[in-house]
Amino acid sequence: MSEQTSNSQTDKIQSALRAVLSSFWFEFKQNRGAVYGLVFISILAFVAIFADLVAPYSPIEQYRDFLKLPPIWSEGGNWSFIFGTDALGRDQLSRIIHGARYSFYIGFIVIFFCLTIGIFLGLVSAFNKGFVDTFIMRGMDIILAFPSLLMALALVAILGPSLENAMIAIAVVYIPHFVRLTRAQALSELGKDYVSSSKTMGASSMRLMFVNVLPNCMPPLIVQATMSFSSAILDAAALGFLGMGAQPPTPEWGTMLADSRSYIVSDPWLMGIPGLFILLTVLSINLIGDGLRDGLDPKMKSSK
Amino acid sequence: MLRFILHRLAILIPTFFGITLAAFTFIHLIPGDPIEVMAGERGVSPEKYAELMHAFGLDQPLWKQYLDYVWQLLHGDLGVSFVTKQPVLDEFFKLFPATVELSLIALIFAIVIGIPAGIIAAVKRGSIFDHSLMTLSLTGFSMPLFWWALLLIVTFSGTLGWTPVSGRISALYYFDNVTGFLLIDSWLSGQPGAFKSAVSHLILPTIALGTIPLATFARQTRSAMLETLNEDFIKTARAKGLSPVRVTVVHAFRNALIPIITVIGLSVGVLLGGAILTETIFSWPGIGKWMVDSIFRRDYAVVQGGLILIATMVIIVNLTVDVLYGLIDPRIRRKGH
Repeated sequence: MSEQTSNSQTDKIQSALRAVLSSFWFEFKQNRGAVYGLVFISILAFVAIFADLVAPYSPIEQYRDFLKLPPIWSEGGNWSFIFGTDALGRDQLSRIIHGARYSFYIGFIVIFFCLTIGIFLGLVSAFNKGFVDTFIMRGMDIILAFPSLLMALALVAILGPSLENAMIAIAVVYIPHFVRLTRAQALSELGKDYVSSSKTMGASSMRLMFVNVLPNCMPPLIVQATMSFSSAILDAAALGFLGMGAQPPTPEWGTMLADSRSYIVSDPWLMGIPGLFILLTVLSINLIGDGLRDGLDPKMKSSK
Repeated sequence: MLRFILHRLAILIPTFFGITLAAFTFIHLIPGDPIEVMAGERGVSPEKYAELMHAFGLDQPLWKQYLDYVWQLLHGDLGVSFVTKQPVLDEFFKLFPATVELSLIALIFAIVIGIPAGIIAAVKRGSIFDHSLMTLSLTGFSMPLFWWALLLIVTFSGTLGWTPVSGRISALYYFDNVTGFLLIDSWLSGQPGAFKSAVSHLILPTIALGTIPLATFARQTRSAMLETLNEDFIKTARAKGLSPVRVTVVHAFRNALIPIITVIGLSVGVLLGGAILTETIFSWPGIGKWMVDSIFRRDYAVVQGGLILIATMVIIVNLTVDVLYGLIDPRIRRKGH
């Protein structure tokens, strides 16, 4: 008997979940840009995961007979190097494909730190009015007072230039946004009836924070995480471009752009291609972010 | 109103000390001894080393170094650059006008194009103009700034040869530094071609730096306008028979101003961050390039002082935006207490 009840309960939860997901998908696919973005990102993710199989060459192998070969659509292009080769004779296409890995890697690591630390500090701040709250929020104000790229540059100068340190620096710079957002969401939830009733039932503050309140704070956090994913890619590329991010010969897109700076007039495609991929990736993720906003919170719908 | 401003100012004081503590800690976390960095490859004798340590106060305990630093800071002394031996504050004020000039022009560029475009898109919602503006602005918003700047250089300076590649003005012109703003100074100098040269040097950096704020303003203006255009008082205004332009500009736009001012205020931080890349790429002699160069030269006195000055500027701008809110919307002023 009791098994039956629990079964029917799981069924109910499952069908409710399905209804939520399908209504989310319905809203999401209304936004055509978001669907295009999702398609591009899916292809890029596939290519990044199977980079070793998809890429025609190694990203660091130098073909000295083919230096600065133009891509196939311009004169002198060669089908064996579709996007051409760079100044050291490395295949651009293979570097772009392997570079996609770094972009996803950067985005995911930064978002992971932002979400875990940001949510934790935000909830602690919302649940401990008074000194703790003031201390955390003033600390966040201080970080926010520094322009993010400048702060990240200074942090990387301390930690030493590398991709990992660039990611840490970017995460530190983004965390305040997550703390503020979580705190604001949690505070607006705290006044609601379900929280007080849960409190009356004797729920511990841990349970209140993570089981009751947090799930209802998630929609805006997911949208913020998507937008930060794309900004992280941009900022990491900017740091790479300034020589403070990934170091050569890593095929990170920003670093590739920095390498091509001396040839911008003679061989513009060398900087054109990596830049275009940064733009398309960031644009696609931002389009997905717009779609997520429509799907997760129809009230916030911006584009309709 | 005065109480509101004073209250906001009071919150700033701990933030300011936090900023100085953060900048101070940063610099002391950097591996390597500043004296050895200053001495470079040549190295110093132990006696000279001790003398320098004492001269820079580096032999004191850390907390005392910090308190001394803040004390000097409050007296307008930000230390001396390790490289040029010039006071940090002097260098800052020498380069600051260049950054302000570029940022202000970029901000004006973004406001003058972005806000009207956003208003038109909201009024003509769903039209081709609306759709293309939204696509363009999302593209602008996603643009890697350094790549965009390079594209502009390749196209307009390289291929077409219309604009100079870098710097603030052609080396042919020399005139007195009156305001530090070359647009004004070159105009005042009356030298033929000087003003034109200053303008032509400004065009590409302005577009590069202004694009992202422009895209943000257009999007924000559109969504704020869409919200207010749905309000009852707009229907009332229309029903009263007011002209559409008057309804849009006077009634709707004024009420959409708060979110728009918010993004303009927030964009000051974005502009200063963008100035780092733009100034580096266009060799624009402002504080962004100065900071990047100092980080690479390990000129920690400049990095520390520069961080504090820039962060202070950002919090002052944020305060101004807060006060502007209070001026526009009395409800916020009362809630602020």
